[in-house]
Amino acid sequence: MNNIKKVLMSLSLLGTILVFSTSAYSACGKVKLGDFDWDSANVHTAITQFILEKGYGCEVEVTKGSTSPIMAALYDQQLDIVTEVWRDNIVQQIEDNIAKGNIIELGINTPESGQGFYVDKATSDKYGLKHVNDMKSAKIAALFADPEAPGKGRMTSCISGWTCYTINLVKHKVYGLDKLYTNFDPGSGGALDAAIAGGFKKGKPVFTYYWEPTGLMGKVDLVKLNEPAYEAKCWSEMMAVVEDIKANGPEVYKPTCAAAYVDMALTKAASTRFANNPANKPVLDFIRKYTIPTALVNSSLAFYMDESGGDMEETAVNFLSNSNIWKSWVPADVANKVKAAL
Amino acid sequence: MKTNWKYWIPVCFVAFWGLIVISYRYAKPRYKPENISDLLNDFSWLINWPKWLDFPLMQPINSGFDWLIVEYGLIFEGINNFLLGLYTTMKDSVVALPWPLVVILVIVMTYFVSGKKMSTTILIGFCTFFIGFLSPRYWDKAIMTTCIVIIGIFLCLVIGIPIGIAMARKPKLRNTILPVLDLMQTIPSFCYLIPGILLFGLGAVPAIIAIFVYAAPPLIRLTDLGIRLVDEEVVEAADAFGASTKQKLWGVQIPLAMPNIMQGVNQSVMMALAMVVIASMIGTRGIGDEVLLGLQQLNVGMATEAGIAIVLLAIIFDRVTQAYGDKIQDKTRPKNIKKV
Repeated sequence: MNNIKKVLMSLSLLGTILVFSTSAYSACGKVKLGDFDWDSANVHTAITQFILEKGYGCEVEVTKGSTSPIMAALYDQQLDIVTEVWRDNIVQQIEDNIAKGNIIELGINTPESGQGFYVDKATSDKYGLKHVNDMKSAKIAALFADPEAPGKGRMTSCISGWTCYTINLVKHKVYGLDKLYTNFDPGSGGALDAAIAGGFKKGKPVFTYYWEPTGLMGKVDLVKLNEPAYEAKCWSEMMAVVEDIKANGPEVYKPTCAAAYVDMALTKAASTRFANNPANKPVLDFIRKYTIPTALVNSSLAFYMDESGGDMEETAVNFLSNSNIWKSWVPADVANKVKAAL
Repeated sequence: MKTNWKYWIPVCFVAFWGLIVISYRYAKPRYKPENISDLLNDFSWLINWPKWLDFPLMQPINSGFDWLIVEYGLIFEGINNFLLGLYTTMKDSVVALPWPLVVILVIVMTYFVSGKKMSTTILIGFCTFFIGFLSPRYWDKAIMTTCIVIIGIFLCLVIGIPIGIAMARKPKLRNTILPVLDLMQTIPSFCYLIPGILLFGLGAVPAIIAIFVYAAPPLIRLTDLGIRLVDEEVVEAADAFGASTKQKLWGVQIPLAMPNIMQGVNQSVMMALAMVVIASMIGTRGIGDEVLLGLQQLNVGMATEAGIAIVLLAIIFDRVTQAYGDKIQDKTRPKNIKKV
């Protein structure tokens, strides 16, 4: 009798321990984050990872890759959350997959990101280059001479295969720059950065397509050239030509109107399977509220490049210690846990 | 060669401690304990690799690289202009030719280089035609790729073969160069492609430099091996006839090593072709960008089609160099021994 009591007691004790331990972990299970091969996405992923691990007790797994494979894995429900989506570059994909119920969007992560044509400040000041029309002269084009295409200047453009490459191609034709400049495909993001940094290091004029927030933008002085202001009607007319060229080659170009890139907001997205699981609600609430102004992202990236010694986790810790903006994204108890971990 | 370990062991030991002291001194204060004696009270640093035990290599490399660009920019500019001039003249003159003429030129060249072998000539003719036949876009791009490969291989020959010969003659030099060759072959290609852009800008020149780094080692190794494998007795015979070192090299060693050297050239060419595809990621125009574009748009058909074009190009290069190697081998083989 006594023995049975003992066994029962110990069993119930074991049971309570199990219940408690599962309740402690059931707050958050495993979260699979998708990350990209550019630095601003890495910063967001690192900050999110830190808060999820230390604040919510999640087990976080990060998968890093380029746009196509990571987004494909998200549509396929293999990844749970992606914290930085350049929505406008892949707008068709995103809308299709929202319609099919593969993903949901979770709001904006960085408002007011910019992309466009840039010239280095020294050259811009010297020759008064403020607008794309200022570039339309053979004398100016000679400053940016393309060594592989004699007589032409070179604008280092977007990577071919990305929509922005074709957009730039159309813009060059509309602005009348195509006779004077090559729309040069740098092949990869790293090569584009290196081309800009190399130009600055050698003190050579730089004419390039670029975007922010980026770490490099915090380190070099680039001036964005003005273009005709963004207008939805004009943009969609231009995009029709762009899509046609993407499908059928540059021969099908038709004269169109063209306008500046819209200041696009970068968004966050989650796979539907993850979002529909009620257990994930606290995590989703946090991701929904997550947003960092462009200037703060740029300064975090500058810290990453210059001071952290290439350590993304340290960059995240630095951001969380020096800014209070994140405390409004999470409940007080989670904020305290994150703070304790810093 | 015997190394004097008695002398080297203490030197290595001191150098090792020196490195650790340097890493501790240059670590950021927030990574270090306040007092160095704390390390003896708190042994937690033995569990996870401590952040202060980190040799500071990144910063010196960065500043060294900046210094290189600022101080020697003109030299790199000169190399850049020379290689680029070579490339653009070559490319422009071939692109300007009518395509049937280019196909015929390739066929005629193969016919004579291969020692009038009909089968090789016909195969090469078909391969050349099929590059343009796959897609008219590929024709000019294949010419660009070929020009880059040829210039890269030219650099490999001019620099690589003398190094290989020197290595075969001086074992000490071989011992120093072998690790460098290992490094060149194993370091990930982006480690020199991206700095190449900083030095030379986007385009063909960093690709040519990358081809040299990637494709020269097999040529150097096989030249070295080929010369060392020349029969001792043949060299002794040459000595007995009173041949000078120069005569021995040009009259005996190099001709007998030629099959191996040609094998090295063949390997170099194949590796150059592989590199020129990777180089499309640093803005090198050529048939590699078609593969890259296909992959970036998830267009498997396009990527495969361009991949086949690269294989055709590889077959052309491979067959021509192999056939030329065979021809040379036939020449140097004694007449009374049958070909195997």
